Amino acid sequence: MAVLSTAFATADWVVLAVYVVAIVAFGLWVGRGTRGIDDFFLAGRQMRWWAAGLSVMATQISAITFVGTTGQAYTKGMSFIAFYFGLPFAMVVLSLTVVPFFYRARVFTAYEYLERRFDGRTRTLTSLLFLLSRGLAVGVTLYAPSLVLSVVLGWSEAATIALMGGTTILYVVYGGNRSVIWTDVVQMALIWFGIFLCVGVAIARLPAEVGLRDALALAQTANRLETVDLSLDLTKPYTLWSGLIGGMFLAMAYFGCDQSQVQRYLSGRSLTESRLSLLFNAFLKVPMQFLILLTGVLVFVFFHFNETPLLWNRAELAQLVARAPAGEVGRLRAEAHAAHEERRTAATAFATARRAGLDSEPAREAYRASQLRLEHTDAEVRRLAGGPGAPVNDVNYIFPSFVVSQLRGGLAGLVIAVIFAAAMSTLAAELSSLATATVVDFYKRFVNTSGSGAHDLLVSRVFTAVWGLFAALVALEAGRLGSAIEVVNRFGSYFYGSILGVFALAILTPRATARGAFYGLIAGMATVFLVSQYTSIAFLWYNVVGALTVFVVGLVITAASGGTGEAGRRPGGVGEPAP
Amino acid sequence: MNPTRPPEASDDRVPLFGTWRAIYGAVAACALIVMALLALFSRWRF
Repeated sequence: MAVLSTAFATADWVVLAVYVVAIVAFGLWVGRGTRGIDDFFLAGRQMRWWAAGLSVMATQISAITFVGTTGQAYTKGMSFIAFYFGLPFAMVVLSLTVVPFFYRARVFTAYEYLERRFDGRTRTLTSLLFLLSRGLAVGVTLYAPSLVLSVVLGWSEAATIALMGGTTILYVVYGGNRSVIWTDVVQMALIWFGIFLCVGVAIARLPAEVGLRDALALAQTANRLETVDLSLDLTKPYTLWSGLIGGMFLAMAYFGCDQSQVQRYLSGRSLTESRLSLLFNAFLKVPMQFLILLTGVLVFVFFHFNETPLLWNRAELAQLVARAPAGEVGRLRAEAHAAHEERRTAATAFATARRAGLDSEPAREAYRASQLRLEHTDAEVRRLAGGPGAPVNDVNYIFPSFVVSQLRGGLAGLVIAVIFAAAMSTLAAELSSLATATVVDFYKRFVNTSGSGAHDLLVSRVFTAVWGLFAALVALEAGRLGSAIEVVNRFGSYFYGSILGVFALAILTPRATARGAFYGLIAGMATVFLVSQYTSIAFLWYNVVGALTVFVVGLVITAASGGTGEAGRRPGGVGEPAP
Repeated sequence: MNPTRPPEASDDRVPLFGTWRAIYGAVAACALIVMALLALFSRWRF
């Protein structure tokens, strides 16, 4: 099998360096003159809808989403797009419900609202859950792309973590949320450009005898174009129904209750601007994901006509060569090469038959058989490399490997800069939101309730830096944590829907009490944990289970305790204006 | 701010669509059309 060229040319290094220097300089420039925490955390609440909207989009699309999604399309097809089907509807629901409540309450964090509606205990618990999950996840946000890029670029993991983390921390600490949002705007523009560039390059790099329609026909035959699965099976991860219902609940929880997103639209200069920033995403998100997945599919077809390495992750390949029984890797190389050649011949014959207007069905069947044979060989290689029961998963390395080996004239540097941009934009928003929740929900309530504006700003910058360093530390240690990374990623899914249930109780049911919300939240998390442990229900449904459990249990406890809405007896509660 | 009172309609002008009802309808219609196009894309005989 071929070894892909991974030479990063001088032009690529120049492009990447220009991006890093320019984005840091821009972040520092737009963040100059920041005064007070209103300015630092919410950009003075002066953002236009398109800037906040691009920031919302940039926060959601992380580097690992970018490379992972293309890799997923390459290996499993486009079914992952169902994950986003519920998002547009969630944006409408949020614009009608939580956004006006948050905006008019003039809160800094989503959890601050819960104290006004319920009590301080509910605010503390939900904010703490956010800090725990997002605080650990921010390390993964940094680690995952660093791991991929370090292998692809030939750097150490520490160097990639230092570059991405250090530069992001610098401008977020200095300029706060204004720097985050404006750099997000630039980064998102770069990401959009990169997406179109990748689609264009993937089409242009197809062989002369294979047109776009032929490429799509090949992908369709290999089951890579399935997008809408009508199955009612609750254990299947991406169906129309799990995407529409589970995806809608997940999007409502993420955009409505996760401070890293709430902070984006709370920076809007009016309620209208805040709402429009979310609705902007409602229009663009699914088409954007389609283009990213299409890139992965086209890269899949591209590698029909260009040899692939035995494993995309060179580090795993080196380990396999060192560990496997003598002759085993050689046998697998020969087998994979033969399978690849067979598929190349079959794919070319299929495309030629189509172009000649001949009956292409026999050629299609021959191609389908060759694809299955190659998939079988690939699976055997990954089983051997990963050990029994844990095959190697190297899908995240496919797209960066394609970029570095196939793009020339600085384009590889530009696309790697896009991956950097995706990582840095998510990291920046997460650091800013973690610092906001720490300062507003804890420091200013329990440590120093009467600090001056200058003191609060200094403390906010310190906490931003501390969270940045914590993220870098987790990222550096993540390699040794092994499966703990997966635990961290799953951790959030246990209570995302449950927190959504608390906000639903707060906003939709005037009679719900603080006791109902608090114990409902605990019941919701426990239920989701049990469902995840003892059933095979796909994870997108966890959010539905959590939210509904909290809502029902909260109402039952409220009714059982004869509650009439404790909020009504506190300042800021029913019938009284909020502070 | 009353935490349990339904929000009032915004007085701000809604760009392009004129009313909130129109923009919400456009989002829903757009989402449904995109899903229909995706289904068509998957089933189209290329």
